[in-house]
Amino acid sequence: MSQDLLWATLLWLPTRGETAKVTTGNPAINGPTPKSWLVEHNNWVFLLPTVLFFVWYQVYPIVRVVWISFTDYKYLTNDPANWVGFDNYVEALSDPLMWDSLGRAAYFTAMFLPGTIIIPLLLAVLIHGVQNQRLATVYRVILLIPAVIPSTLVFVLWKWMYNYQIGPINHFLVEVTGWFTYRNAPQWLGGTDLTLPSVAIMEVWWGLGYHSVFFLAGLAAIPKDLPEAARIDGAGEWQVFWHIILPRLQPIMLILVILRFGTSMGVIDEYLIFGGFNRESPTYTWTIFMYDQAFKTGLWRQGFAAAIGMVGSLAMMVFVTWLIYIFRSRD
Amino acid sequence: MRKEKELIYQQQLRQDLLDRKMDRREFISKTLTAGLGLAGVGVISNFGNFAQAQSRPLTPTFYQWIEDLHPGIPQVNSRFPDVNYQIAPVEGFGIERFVAEAKKKDSTWDVYVGQTPFVEMTAMIEADVIEPWDNYIPKDVIDDIIPSIREECTINGKMYGWPFLLDVIGTGWHAGIVKEAGLPDGAPATWQDYLSRADQVIESGAAPFGATFDANGWRSLAPFTHSLSSDVYTSEGLFDFTGDAAIEALMLMKNIMSKSHPDIMLAGTSDGGVNGTPDEVAFAAQRVGYYNKYFNAPLRMAQYWDNPKDLRMGPLPKFAGGEGSTVFWTTGAALFKHGKNKDKAAEYVKALTYDQQIWKDSIAGTETAHPGQLPPYKSLYAGWKSSQPDWLPDFVDLVRGQLDQAKAITNHLFGLQQFQIGKPIWESYLKGEEKNPRVAMQKVVNAVQAEMKRG
Repeated sequence: MSQDLLWATLLWLPTRGETAKVTTGNPAINGPTPKSWLVEHNNWVFLLPTVLFFVWYQVYPIVRVVWISFTDYKYLTNDPANWVGFDNYVEALSDPLMWDSLGRAAYFTAMFLPGTIIIPLLLAVLIHGVQNQRLATVYRVILLIPAVIPSTLVFVLWKWMYNYQIGPINHFLVEVTGWFTYRNAPQWLGGTDLTLPSVAIMEVWWGLGYHSVFFLAGLAAIPKDLPEAARIDGAGEWQVFWHIILPRLQPIMLILVILRFGTSMGVIDEYLIFGGFNRESPTYTWTIFMYDQAFKTGLWRQGFAAAIGMVGSLAMMVFVTWLIYIFRSRD
Repeated sequence: MRKEKELIYQQQLRQDLLDRKMDRREFISKTLTAGLGLAGVGVISNFGNFAQAQSRPLTPTFYQWIEDLHPGIPQVNSRFPDVNYQIAPVEGFGIERFVAEAKKKDSTWDVYVGQTPFVEMTAMIEADVIEPWDNYIPKDVIDDIIPSIREECTINGKMYGWPFLLDVIGTGWHAGIVKEAGLPDGAPATWQDYLSRADQVIESGAAPFGATFDANGWRSLAPFTHSLSSDVYTSEGLFDFTGDAAIEALMLMKNIMSKSHPDIMLAGTSDGGVNGTPDEVAFAAQRVGYYNKYFNAPLRMAQYWDNPKDLRMGPLPKFAGGEGSTVFWTTGAALFKHGKNKDKAAEYVKALTYDQQIWKDSIAGTETAHPGQLPPYKSLYAGWKSSQPDWLPDFVDLVRGQLDQAKAITNHLFGLQQFQIGKPIWESYLKGEEKNPRVAMQKVVNAVQAEMKRG
């Protein structure tokens, strides 16, 4: 979440500065008042600490990883890193596990992203329509409860929920409804085909409130007279939603989709906890492959691991560019 | 000041700094006041770290689970004033922090208690993180270590691990379930007997599942293989996946699986999937009769039973004509090459590993834990044999007997990874996707070799 706030700040502040020009005196009598450089660029001055932090903790590590990806650096040895050019990239791109693991991450993202947009959007529209403000506040608070639970507790909770033997979901399916037995009950985690959908459900639940807040903010910014005018003209609720509300929520959707695309493609904690290092498991994505090579296997070939990371990142950037194009403003 | 007086005064100030009679700020002030100028700064840069090193207390670090399972450790610590006991920042056998510090020729800690030789010892040696104990461990201790355990901790004639907690793969069973199934309350002697008893548990309705094991290869494939033969490692030091013994073990696993819970092959819920495994859950839920794993697993899981006293333990069954061996490993202490207080560390580890209360708590259990881990020393077993304490259960004698035949997994950089890489591949046979176990195991060998060739 802190990364989301940082990105939002970086995207928002420079445009805000353009509207905050300082003027003094009466320009009709004295002409335009000269402004100091500092006053004209005050938004960048205030942004400087964040930029410095960003450059040191985000840009520098990326540059360093790019450099490492062109070497044969092995962390467990004291041998110097030698420049190997694109060898690591060729090896990564010709490894079937690279493509399998990228595909698994993409599959998870395809399940997770719609849940990040559609369900929170619908919930936000419903809550926004609640006339009783107190009740609306209660709904907002309930929605935000999962968002404030620490990640460790969320993982513990859902590991228990999904447990094959003692989890409440399988208890319901076997003991209460009798739809399954202990021999054929669903195996939710641990590397089965259900693992990624199970993790996706957990993630959607966890982010419901947080993502809804984005849409609620967007809905609050839509002038009330627009949908009212449309209703007066005979538009139905669906038409109001599709033609008025949804287009105005597009910038919010763009931010959410890009942010969540990045986080879902880059999931690693959940896969380490729910799947481990089984290379056939659906949770063995490119991030786990990278981690496995960097910190677990052999002499820890971090040059190769860095190349895996760069290949995954470049694939993501291509897709993000396409997303920005899809969600571009059509005004 | 005259020169000789300057030198004497500087010497006195230096000594006071080392003896912690003053801090660095005071030292600098006094040297500057005395007109010694930048000499004070030079002393700080040369002697500051040395002073810190000399005065740094013994700093051992433990893998979290060891503290959880062995509540007697604080009592040992109390015998070492100023010991700076810490929990290691490791999870899932990770050693990244240790390696990172070693690269800077530094170590926050002096000794790490949590090293399992076949898992991380070779990697720590490659990364120059640890050094042998040979210059520090007393000779009488070396002679007292059970030979197979000493071999486990030795590479190229040097002891890189000081063994502490011994885990042995054996058999546990639920006496209540077994009795309800009409079976004898003793360890199955052979795998054939084991399988037929597992069938009986299911057919009688005493439990839904007859038997289970931990699907990670070093906890099932390897010990089952050893029960036929322990000469199952290649000249490179890797597990011989395509040998007859391993093939038999794989076929046995498939047989056991048909009598086990369906999620037996799934990853666990913690430590990168290696712990919190489905077999533990099934045994704790009293849904299975027989269980093969290191003894601390059935001991921990039985605590959840209606009657924990229903737990029985014994050795691994044998194949007909087999060696009857099993797998063991120790979790012990590693000496950081760039740590301090090495003599003190040896004293500390000796006290820890010989502490009678720790062994009583481990074997007999306490209110909070019952790990069932055993000591590595001949003298302790001999002492218990000559004067058996009333808290000593029967399985200790059985396990001690097995230790003379048991063998550790050979140390290799891919000691653990060979099983992690191979597991999804040999599982194709277990799941029925591959009909021929030899084909599956050859693919395992190919995959491990391919990974090793990466470098």
